Amino acid sequence: MANALRLYLSCIRNTLEAAMCLQNFPCQEVERHNKPEVELKTSSELILNPILICRNESEKCLIETSINSLRISLKVKQTDELENILTKKFLRFLSMRAEAFQVLRRKPVQGYDISFLITNYHCEELQKQKLIDFIVQFMEDIDKEISELKMSVNTRGRLVATEFLKQFI
Amino acid sequence: MACFQRASPALKEILLKLYSSENPTEIEHHLHEFGSVQYHIQSFISDSLHVYLSIATPLLSQGVLLSDGLSPYTLEMVKQICSHGVEIIEPAKEGYKLTLRIDFAKILHEEEPEKIITDIAAVHAVILSSQLKEMLINVNSPALFQGTSRPIKLVYHPREPFFVIKQPQKILIVFPIRFKENTDVIIATAFFWELMDVGSSEKWSETPPCCWSPIPPPELRGEPLEELSTNGGFVTFDISVHHVEGKRLEKTVWSLLNFNAYVKYHVKTTRGFIQRRMRKRLEGLVDILHQKTSDDGLLNKGQGIMYMKKLAARTKRIKQKCHSLSRKIKRIRFRIKIPGFARFRRRWLKFPTFSSSIRYAKLK
Repeated sequence: MANALRLYLSCIRNTLEAAMCLQNFPCQEVERHNKPEVELKTSSELILNPILICRNESEKCLIETSINSLRISLKVKQTDELENILTKKFLRFLSMRAEAFQVLRRKPVQGYDISFLITNYHCEELQKQKLIDFIVQFMEDIDKEISELKMSVNTRGRLVATEFLKQFI
Repeated sequence: MACFQRASPALKEILLKLYSSENPTEIEHHLHEFGSVQYHIQSFISDSLHVYLSIATPLLSQGVLLSDGLSPYTLEMVKQICSHGVEIIEPAKEGYKLTLRIDFAKILHEEEPEKIITDIAAVHAVILSSQLKEMLINVNSPALFQGTSRPIKLVYHPREPFFVIKQPQKILIVFPIRFKENTDVIIATAFFWELMDVGSSEKWSETPPCCWSPIPPPELRGEPLEELSTNGGFVTFDISVHHVEGKRLEKTVWSLLNFNAYVKYHVKTTRGFIQRRMRKRLEGLVDILHQKTSDDGLLNKGQGIMYMKKLAARTKRIKQKCHSLSRKIKRIRFRIKIPGFARFRRRWLKFPTFSSSIRYAKLK
């Protein structure tokens, strides 16, 4: 892993460790309601300041914390058109199967490619440390997968082009 | 051409069925392929040895080079399929470009009758390729193009026209590339870059130089705007004399006719490849999350069982200790132990129960 990426990921890990102090907290406005405060934002005193971690303009991570929930939004790097469509296709594919991940949001926050919503229940069920590991691993894997996909598509194209040119000889 | 196979599989199957049937059968089939090719196959009981095959196909060009109907070169190429087994009937059946009478009796005497039937099933490919062949064969003949360098639009499929442009010592073949989806355009563009890159290497110097450009080449200037509006750019092949020499002519013509289909097939399979890979990766990512949690669950579960076992063992030991302690206390309380004393006490030192004759009245 490149040093810059390691620093970026370790920064996110440390921030998540600090931010993921969630507890059960029923809604203050509506009785018998227990909703993620980071989504509803009903009471400003329950919302913490959002943290934006940027590696560069095209790669950033927004961590929004509240008393009972945490929202992580990621923007994945897209250097060219092919990476752009591969990223969009892949992240859309994952978002459409969000139920498999439990913590994945079906629709990303505006300006980001993918979002996670972690509640205190997730922390209790899946454990805080494991969730942080998963998020960091996910970020690493997405980067790797997009690069590999791009390389595969280009290699495939090259092979097909070679086969096409062979027909002329 | 929207396929890679020269012979039409459906037509081949029908002809083989007719060829192998022992009893004469009356058949009339209408086949439609690629939206623009139409076949009509007829067989009569009265004339069981002959099959009539009519084909309707759009001509590559109605313009400068070809007059209405099929050119003599094309008809010559069709005759070459099987000169004595296939006869061209003139005039062709109404609504069709060409009608062939296939004589199975003569084909039977051939060495490889199935191969001949396959060749007959490829009649559409022969018609199409012969038209382009006729143009390419005259790379150096200015007379054919009547001295004009105006692009000739060739339409072998209504949605996929291409242009042939005559230039000194070479012919340019320009393919406008159009796709419905942006994803397809990007995959195709990546392919064109690779095609240009591979084609420019020394190893492939024998192949026609290929060039991709997002804007129309200057040779197409003056063409209608709708012909030049594409989302995938333009791919140009430079065909020189040595690309159409001898047997290479057939290969070059077939490759060029198949180019659009080839690109579309590549795009389709690449999309499938991406989808397969994403599905595989999804499983991997889900495993990361759930494997860890399930391990933890097992770990916690295991730890819990051990803890409970330890707790139960400890409780048992405490119980045993308590029991022994209570026995000890009892023993301590009875310092002198006389065997049979307990029985003696129960028998003799028991307080008798008295029943008084005087009854007391309860005071109110």
